Amino acid sequence: MEAPYAIEMLHITKRFPGIIANDDITLQLKKGEIHALLGENGAGKSTLMSVLFGLYQAEEGVIKKDGKEVQIRNPNDANDLGIGMVHQHFKLVECFSVLDNIILGIEPTKNGFLQKKEAREKVMALSEKYGLAVNPDALIEDITVGMQQRTEILKMLYRDNEILIFDEPTAVLTPQEIEELMQIMRNLAAEGKSILFISHKLAEIMAVADRCSVLRKGKYIGTVETKNTTMEQLSAMMVGRNVNFHVEKKPQHLGEVILDVDNISVASKVHKKDAVKNVSFKVRAGEIVCIAGIDGNGQTELVYGLSGLEPLKSGHITLKGQDITNASIRKRSTSGMSHIPEDRHKHGLVLDYPLEYNLILQRYFEPEFTDKAGFLKRGPIRSYADRLIEQYDVRSGQGAVTPARSMSGGNQQKAIIAREIDKDPDLLIAVQPTRGLDVGAIEYIHKQLVAQRDAGKAVLLVSLELDEVMDVPDRILVMYEGEIVGELDPKTTTQEELGLYMAGAKRNEVKA
Amino acid sequence: MKKFLKNDAVQSLIASLLCILMGLLIGYIVLLFINSAGAGNAILDVLKNFMKTSNPERRVRLLGATLVRTAPLLMCGLSVLFAYKVGLFNIGTAGQYVAGVCASLYAALAWGWGWLPCMLFAIVSGAVLGAIVGFLKAYRNVNEVISGIMLNWIALYTSNMILTLQKQEASHYTLKLKENAPQAILPSLGLDKLFNYDKVSIAIPLAILLAVAVYIVLNRTKFGYELRATGNNKNAAKYAGMAEKRNIILTLIISGGLAGIGGAMLYLTDIEQWSVTATSVPGMGFNGIAATFLGGLNPIGTIFSSFFIQHITDGGPNVDTNLYCAQISDLITAIIIYLCGFVLFLKTAMNRAIDRSAERKAQKEKALAAEKGGEK
Amino acid sequence: MLLLLQYTLIFASILTLVALGGCFSEHSGVINLGLEGIMVIGALGGALMMRNMPAGSPAFVIVLLTLLAAVVFGMAYSSLLAVACINFKADQTIVGTALNMLGTAAATVLVKAINTAADPNNHSATIEYVEQKKAFIHYFGSFEFNWFMVIAVVILVLAWMTLYKTKFGLRLMACGEHPQAADSVGINVYKMRWSGVLISGLLGGLGGICYILAGVSQWQFEYGVAGFGFLALAVMIFGQWKPWRIALAALLFGLFRALSNVYFGIGFLAALNIPGTVYNMMPYIVSLIVLALTSKKSRAPKAEGIPYDKGMR
Repeated sequence: MEAPYAIEMLHITKRFPGIIANDDITLQLKKGEIHALLGENGAGKSTLMSVLFGLYQAEEGVIKKDGKEVQIRNPNDANDLGIGMVHQHFKLVECFSVLDNIILGIEPTKNGFLQKKEAREKVMALSEKYGLAVNPDALIEDITVGMQQRTEILKMLYRDNEILIFDEPTAVLTPQEIEELMQIMRNLAAEGKSILFISHKLAEIMAVADRCSVLRKGKYIGTVETKNTTMEQLSAMMVGRNVNFHVEKKPQHLGEVILDVDNISVASKVHKKDAVKNVSFKVRAGEIVCIAGIDGNGQTELVYGLSGLEPLKSGHITLKGQDITNASIRKRSTSGMSHIPEDRHKHGLVLDYPLEYNLILQRYFEPEFTDKAGFLKRGPIRSYADRLIEQYDVRSGQGAVTPARSMSGGNQQKAIIAREIDKDPDLLIAVQPTRGLDVGAIEYIHKQLVAQRDAGKAVLLVSLELDEVMDVPDRILVMYEGEIVGELDPKTTTQEELGLYMAGAKRNEVKA
Repeated sequence: MKKFLKNDAVQSLIASLLCILMGLLIGYIVLLFINSAGAGNAILDVLKNFMKTSNPERRVRLLGATLVRTAPLLMCGLSVLFAYKVGLFNIGTAGQYVAGVCASLYAALAWGWGWLPCMLFAIVSGAVLGAIVGFLKAYRNVNEVISGIMLNWIALYTSNMILTLQKQEASHYTLKLKENAPQAILPSLGLDKLFNYDKVSIAIPLAILLAVAVYIVLNRTKFGYELRATGNNKNAAKYAGMAEKRNIILTLIISGGLAGIGGAMLYLTDIEQWSVTATSVPGMGFNGIAATFLGGLNPIGTIFSSFFIQHITDGGPNVDTNLYCAQISDLITAIIIYLCGFVLFLKTAMNRAIDRSAERKAQKEKALAAEKGGEK
Repeated sequence: MLLLLQYTLIFASILTLVALGGCFSEHSGVINLGLEGIMVIGALGGALMMRNMPAGSPAFVIVLLTLLAAVVFGMAYSSLLAVACINFKADQTIVGTALNMLGTAAATVLVKAINTAADPNNHSATIEYVEQKKAFIHYFGSFEFNWFMVIAVVILVLAWMTLYKTKFGLRLMACGEHPQAADSVGINVYKMRWSGVLISGLLGGLGGICYILAGVSQWQFEYGVAGFGFLALAVMIFGQWKPWRIALAALLFGLFRALSNVYFGIGFLAALNIPGTVYNMMPYIVSLIVLALTSKKSRAPKAEGIPYDKGMR
């Protein structure tokens, strides 16, 4: 009898220093099915796929293809086994044609010369068979994201791959394109291809997948048939019900409007659609507003637009009644905006500078730290740094002179928070301030954010962590595909409800 | 010991010394191939430079001659270094140096200016060239290396054209300052007597002062703070609201100015005259690159490295010219720069080795402790 | 006028060869700033071969062996860049610059050593090749035809075919644009980049020997190649990394370079009475202006200058 499973990953365990990324995970992909893999950020999906592709070797567990155990040591082994993947960030050469991208790596040649005619015929036949409309001669940079994705799919089909993995394939598509993609996936499955569909989006999983496996915090939660389940059930499996901690907050004293965002749009760097589409909201003094949403739905670009790192395409931003739409980054900062950036290594710190120099990164030009002749005042800088280190409990090997590079992630983040809060801002924008930190540091940072709110400041928190979203803010705005799709009250909403908004399954009208 | 080896300055020093040793070794091998008999002596001759003569008076005089050329080399090194701190590779230093030569000589000979205005004029000329590179980089996205090279040649030919107006009738060299513009010769403040050589001037202490000044600007001022932040992490600099384009242009203006002074520092001593038929850009600017990297990208380190490079360059002619040629020093210098490309790799390897040995030691101690525990 | 044409063609040939070399290297993802040095070493290889060739050798053999020597020297020298920048991830700018300085210094030391060994009183860095040069030259009336003009055209066609019609070219360009994508389909990025750099060494070496055969019959190695390697890079940028455009750009730059050799022979230019140095500067000024106008929207290979690290995906 033929084995029913195309690929089986049995009891896979993969550890990294400090964490277990995959803890005894089992995933069985039937031939000809569409199997969804659901989980939050950091649930262990990417690690599992990296194991399947031979990028990592699992410490425990086996992988079977058609019932036989196989060793996958590198991506080429995976290719040889007929496993193909459409990556979330496409691996396409922008200035090549669609056809060239498809044949790259397995080019048909005669006497060393490319035989594109043959290749084109094969590509067109595949394109016809599966309804993957592409123009083989168009350059990648000139075509839509949807067609780029179809090119990636054709790349797999051209290599006769049997197992097709789609990593968050709908993140960059328009609703119509998503509809098309789902039809394509159904066609592929009908032709006997086995499909693994990695996603956060419940509605899509319900619409297209036959079965769904759920991961949470590195653990395998279970596998369900989609026809026997509901979105609420899936959402519960994805986020769990355990609330880890609770943040104490004083009763709210709402003040005047500090930040007024009016209908702004920001262009995307990775695709041709706008990353932020006509977003409007207000943040008032004395409240924490959280922008919730799944990674890559425009939160990063929204913050870039607010802080001035990227220009706006349209719309206006007002800070304390002052129009800062076209103001420089420095102007925004001195007007009372603080920004804890998403990526502390890319933006937040100059890693080769000592801690004390990083602590004055937003204020070094002020008379307190620079004298009239332009010399840095080393004494005041040192004592200022020492005060922040003491007050915010920033731990480091050599105190103020420790190179930022040699500090732990948690203390690097504390240093940034100390710097941004001590500026005494009217508006504090904190983007994923607790990412990658341990529980103690997370609790500390939440306390600091709440303290700012209680002191009558406006706080805009951008978070991907559901616990954080539920606990810290006074209001939640959910962002989905560049738009604000809902406003929720954390006191009355549930994680399941929130999950539905984040996955694009629900929306309500938001009053700006 | 481990902490000592992890120190960045110490690592830079070790890396530089390794580059020098390797450079000398490869140079020695080349000499062996040319003529195996005198290779060892030749390398020693190069390294000895002024120490080769046994006459103490002559030694001091030769040391003075090396110092006279070290000063402009140091300025070129500082010029390269200053730009590199912002992440720019100013190969145009060579041309900015030429602009400084041309401006100072012309102002001295044609207008009869004194040494100080001549020097200031040299700074301005170098700075203008630097500004062009900076402007093209900031606003037109032109690679600073290529525009720098083009400007080097433009500067060379322009200088030839301008200085032709001030050349000696019978030769292709510019007029001597001593007879035609003594007011422009750099004052010596008694240094000439100390070294028994009339070309030794304030250029030498001035260059060292400027190196210290560059160190101070980079490490003690707001401007330097911004520049180094930009060079280390462009994104963080932007996040902190620093004006990148302005800083690029300003940096190259200063970098060009430093190279310009270098030109004046050599030619206003009257030690040599400019050949108006020169067809290649003087090597001073390019050697500056070597000085910078060999100096571990530190202004103070550059003082020593530029002396070393000038020292072996002047030692070159010491070799037995019946066997070898003086350019062996250029060869060694070039090899050293090439090796400097590996410094980053070297430092990473060093850190990794230290970490690994520390780990092994820790493991051993742990095992030892466990064993002892077992015995009890 | 004929003279102008002749010089334009020969300079354009050199620039085409070297710029195509740069083009291959950059398409693979490595910026080759060391072309100047590679030219010098290539020229050295060719010149040494010519010097040691018996005077009566057949023209064909002379041409072939000279080219071979230049190519071998150029490629061997370019491997210094490849090993540093590809395997050791060194800064491509520093290494390229070092190679330029090293090229001239090494050639000078070597030629002087050879000259001195042959004649203890000869301390010059000059190699003569009066007789051998004739093998490369053919006269049509007063027009001095140089075989390099044909070689450049042949190489141009070959380069175009390699880049756009072969598997190798497709893979090479993928490595310069998006090495991660190339890696993901099983292409060895390091190997492709090595190939790109070696080809630049081959073409740079050819360009170098061509440069010292243009116009003169002896070469003083202390002088290097007067920034021609960098002019070639400007030609490459102006040509937008595409072979045919590079050829056109090379013709334009060649014309300006040729003017400085022959302006005094052309009636109206001589009458303008502009000093010769202005013509000397022309190619550099033109390239600076061209760069200022074209660099903003340059289509340089996206991943050039960034060392590829297999671990970083």
